[in-house]
Amino acid sequence: MIVRVNVTVNGEQCQADDVWPGESLLYLLRERLGLPGAKNACEQGECGSCTVYLDGVLVCACLVAAGQAQGRQVRTVEGLADGAELDPVQQAFVETGAVQCGFCTPGLVVAAHDLLNRVDRPTDPEIREALAGNLCRCTGYEKILEAVRLAASRRNPGGRPGEAAEGESR
Amino acid sequence: MTNPSNPSNPSRTRDTALSAPARVPTELTTSVPGGVGSSPHRPDAALKVRGEFAFASDLWHEDMVWGVTLRSPHPHALIRSIDITDALTVPGVRAVLTHTDVPGTNRYGLERPDQPVLAEDVVRYQGEPVALVAADHPETARRAMRRIAVDYQVLDPVVDAEAVVAGAAPLLHPGGNIVRHQPIRRGDPDATAPVVVRGTYRVGMQDQAFLGPESGLAVPAPDGGVDLYVATQWLHVDQRQVAIALGLPVDRVRLTLSGVGGAFGGREDLSMQVHACLLALYTGRPVKMVYNRQESFYGHVHRHPATLRYEHGADRDGRLVYVRAEIFLDGGAYASSTPAVVANAATLGVGPYEVPNVAVDCWGVYTNNPPCGAMRGFGAVQAAFAYESQMDRLAEAVGVGPVEIRLRNAMRRGSTLPTGQVVDSAAPVAELLRRVAAKPLPPPVDPAEVDLRQLPGGVANTTHGEGVVRGVGYGVGIKNICFSEGFDDFSTARVRVEAVGGEVAATVHTAACEVGQGLVTVLQQIVRTELGVRRVSVLPMDTSIGDAGSTSASRQTYMTGGAVRAASHAVRDRLLAMAAAELGATATDLVLAGGAVLSTRDGAAVDLAALLGADAVERTAEWRHRATEAVDPVTGQGNAHVQYGFAAHRAVVDVDTELGLVRVVELACAQDVGRAMNPQAVLGQIQGGSAQGLGLAVMEEIQISAGRIRNPSFTDYLIPTVLDMPPMRIDVLELADEHAPYGLRGVGEPPTISSTPAIVAAIRAATGLALTRVPVRPEHITGT
Amino acid sequence: MNPFEYRRATDVAEAVAAVAERPDAVFLGGGTNLVDHLKLGVTRPGRLVDITRLPLDRVEPLPGGGVRVGANVRNSDLAAEPVIRSRYPVLAQALLSGASGQLRNLATTGGNLLQRTRCVYFQDITTPCNKRMPGSGCAALDGYTRHHAVLGASPQCVAVHPSDMAVALAALDAVVRTHGPAGQRAIPLVEFHRLPGAQPERDTVLDHGELITAVDLPAVPATRRSAYRKVRDRASYAFALVSVAAEVELRDGEISQARIAFGGLAHKPWRAQRAEQVLRGAPATAATFQRAAEAELVGAQPLADNAFKVPLARNTLVSVLTELTELTGATEPTQEDTP
Repeated sequence: MIVRVNVTVNGEQCQADDVWPGESLLYLLRERLGLPGAKNACEQGECGSCTVYLDGVLVCACLVAAGQAQGRQVRTVEGLADGAELDPVQQAFVETGAVQCGFCTPGLVVAAHDLLNRVDRPTDPEIREALAGNLCRCTGYEKILEAVRLAASRRNPGGRPGEAAEGESR
Repeated sequence: MTNPSNPSNPSRTRDTALSAPARVPTELTTSVPGGVGSSPHRPDAALKVRGEFAFASDLWHEDMVWGVTLRSPHPHALIRSIDITDALTVPGVRAVLTHTDVPGTNRYGLERPDQPVLAEDVVRYQGEPVALVAADHPETARRAMRRIAVDYQVLDPVVDAEAVVAGAAPLLHPGGNIVRHQPIRRGDPDATAPVVVRGTYRVGMQDQAFLGPESGLAVPAPDGGVDLYVATQWLHVDQRQVAIALGLPVDRVRLTLSGVGGAFGGREDLSMQVHACLLALYTGRPVKMVYNRQESFYGHVHRHPATLRYEHGADRDGRLVYVRAEIFLDGGAYASSTPAVVANAATLGVGPYEVPNVAVDCWGVYTNNPPCGAMRGFGAVQAAFAYESQMDRLAEAVGVGPVEIRLRNAMRRGSTLPTGQVVDSAAPVAELLRRVAAKPLPPPVDPAEVDLRQLPGGVANTTHGEGVVRGVGYGVGIKNICFSEGFDDFSTARVRVEAVGGEVAATVHTAACEVGQGLVTVLQQIVRTELGVRRVSVLPMDTSIGDAGSTSASRQTYMTGGAVRAASHAVRDRLLAMAAAELGATATDLVLAGGAVLSTRDGAAVDLAALLGADAVERTAEWRHRATEAVDPVTGQGNAHVQYGFAAHRAVVDVDTELGLVRVVELACAQDVGRAMNPQAVLGQIQGGSAQGLGLAVMEEIQISAGRIRNPSFTDYLIPTVLDMPPMRIDVLELADEHAPYGLRGVGEPPTISSTPAIVAAIRAATGLALTRVPVRPEHITGT
Repeated sequence: MNPFEYRRATDVAEAVAAVAERPDAVFLGGGTNLVDHLKLGVTRPGRLVDITRLPLDRVEPLPGGGVRVGANVRNSDLAAEPVIRSRYPVLAQALLSGASGQLRNLATTGGNLLQRTRCVYFQDITTPCNKRMPGSGCAALDGYTRHHAVLGASPQCVAVHPSDMAVALAALDAVVRTHGPAGQRAIPLVEFHRLPGAQPERDTVLDHGELITAVDLPAVPATRRSAYRKVRDRASYAFALVSVAAEVELRDGEISQARIAFGGLAHKPWRAQRAEQVLRGAPATAATFQRAAEAELVGAQPLADNAFKVPLARNTLVSVLTELTELTGATEPTQEDTP
């Protein structure tokens, strides 16, 4: 059985034909809609690298059947920047060295983006809990925490300061 | 997207008629100012945060089909027959291939060609590739794959490495089951000492667990060859092995590095490279292969599990008199890099200590367990867990602290290793230990104040601070940097300078694999420093230029950095000669700076862009480190290594002894990097490496039973999350190694080595338990 | 993955009929478990009936003080519900200790109850498994059993139930409401999941085509304290080695009411009635808690690799009870009576 899926991705109406219903939203995005930003590290909901917004809620795209996305709104990492202007979360990842191999980066950027939409100035434990569904194998997470702190301070400069940084470097 | 075959660059022109893929690696043109010693942003960072960086699994070609691999479900079996007729009937299937379709030599291997591309009459591990399918949709290919009928005669698997050494196992390979035995003999074999400590230690099988799965795209070429876009660690060694298997001349197999989602040793061996090329040549279509996570666990080698028996003898002050050790490394079904791992575990087996009398024997053997090979730390990790555990036992036996015992035995510049090699550059082992020991300790947990997420058990509401005990432990390690044992270790780089739009711009081209560590940034920095040029682009890495060696052994900044520096110097010399003619000066009075050539004598200047006009200056350099030599097969003596890296850790842990839960509260690390080429990237390596060591200490192990992997998923093979990794305090020392470019010392591996023993030592300090095996699990703390 | 048909249901009766009419049809909820199993080939349905758009996504008060949780309420939404956080903390804690934020945003209340085991042999389609393929045998018995059951297992199956939420619901005496081809029924949660016996392929007592529509939580008195604790191999995002859901009420230093359930020990959330019997009417002391744990775990039958679960379960129970009774014990005995 083959289906057609209409889905709004990053504000654009998209249509995919000949979708086999066993395909995931992740496959739909990556292989049919030309949006490989969401990554395929485990395809079992165990790593968070395929994190996207589905109707504004953070999900693992690999576990959403393509048919379930019918008529819904998806926002991927490709939809965060405003043209040439990176989102503050993206910019902070670049500046702090939170990107190494970068395979976890899109998922972490989206997850951090979601956190900062919900919490102005998260504490370190709040950041850690919010990002616990995203595995990273390169960075040891330290610079990812730095990036989220930096992005939070820029997005909400007048906000309540989070807890003092946990560690120090150099 | 930029086409990789950039016609404006003659060094990269190709005669491929099939269009290059639509989504491929691009030239990295983002160039933030910053030379050696600064921390400019990565040239690929913006692409990566936007999700636009082309990883190997993102590649796409209009005509492409999908390839999948049928793997053996048995760790050891004879293949009686393979029937593909049913699979061929599935609509959409383009090809079904078995070993009889391998046109060249059906063998490959990093050090020994002992591994078939596709199994012939025997399978030696669970997951061994048996057949390939290409189809229009990946799901179609998988369905067809399930319709291949393989008739196996199941055999008992050989699973015990020590039994293999004892000779109690059937022959798995024609040359015997011992891949390598390396003895190290130094001093008096019968030395005695008043204080003796003994221990047997075990290290579980760790996985690299890189996030980007094995993947690539093979595009058939009109010349009968193939272009392979792939995530790997060493393009040229892949190229050679693929060409042999395909029966093609090397120049008909062209590789381009696509985005690599981490490597850590797991991409040194071939995975899908030959398979995708075979399918591409048989179907005449571009073939994409992407492993899923389960297949990835079967599709790459792992860290050797080890059993290590140690005896340390010391005087009453704790000064080492002798070390004797037997190290058993389970190499699994194929050799991979086991011989080199054996050499490391043996030659570095006593750690960064002065030991006058040494007798170490290290064996790497064949079994029917999953093949093991390279992983960050490469033999030094297993040894360090044992020798550091022994040092703590020794400290206890002589009644001194863990730092003091290490200080009393620490090697230094001028020390002699058990191989007889004299350490001829900085070896600040004592300084590193003093630094981590001097750092303030984190405050104790106040159960009334603390966030539960900072206690053992994390968000599971597990511990409220009751029954939690704190422990502090130390570890220090040694790692050889670059290839050892006489290997002809070199790298190749091409640097080109030209005027683009009135601005001088440099381009650097190598085959050195960027796997995430930030080599592309460092290469830009080197060119900026050497040529005084601001704009530096990095071309995609490929085999159209000479070999760069592997991205492993913490060697690429040293080796390809050295090659880029050498090529830059050649370019510089040409530019200065051009400027000398222009200015009527002598080249020795001229320097490059700020996009111009300046005279140090009279201040005269000529703008580089003007000097170049429409011309380009391009130079290629091949660069080698000092020669090393093989160690003696009987005594282990020889100048095997070119450089050493050292790191020390202090770990602070809280342990819930009732529930067996460990929270690493803080890791302190001190490491000598010779020269911090990019301080931010250096910290990233130390933090990431420490996290992998933490994983081995408390959670990571591939569970093998009867030769089968029991946890091939990220649900069952656990790596640290952001809640498991503590904050770090880091000291970076820069004691220049006068033999190395810029004085630098390889950074990537040392922090992975010492964090594991430090954490386990801290758990021992908290609990009083012996804990002789990693990973330490809750049941090891609570007892059963 | 085998070919299958995908249908999106718009009302409960249609959904039930669509599954009931085909033996190989299944309901698709949040997908966090089923989509994974489709990829692995663990499950090969001929039809998926997507129920995520059914109007079963509300949390509503029940007459008498209970709460009805719609089957499609997401785990993250349920954990954030003020009424759940204040009156059923054991449930909120259990939900938040499970999986990751991204998965809790997808996972539904009904789907969570139907999670299938994480037994590695069940997941590995190349090995025998009576749950996946009835009659094929159990590879775990001679295999790697660290994560397997110590209570209530059978020679056919030693798998454990993976849910955290269901353990809390077992301790809460929740009731599962269903709508099936034969009509509607209410099933106490402690009877909803099965022990494996000779039919390990059946995780629950549901009939084919029977749809979970809601879970009812009974009213709890304000004096009742509850908590969930989970022991696992890392700080988050891992299944339980052992977990404990506990509800207690204290009166004059004595335990007047106790409801305990274990996770990670059995094929179903394990309601610890023997432990509860020991606790009721006994002084809230460490010795009592130890006796309660021993009473429940005396019948444990560990396998080769999981004997550690028994002392771990004991220690976890003792630590949860200590926490709950210290909290309540610190205050004066309340004047409200237990209903």
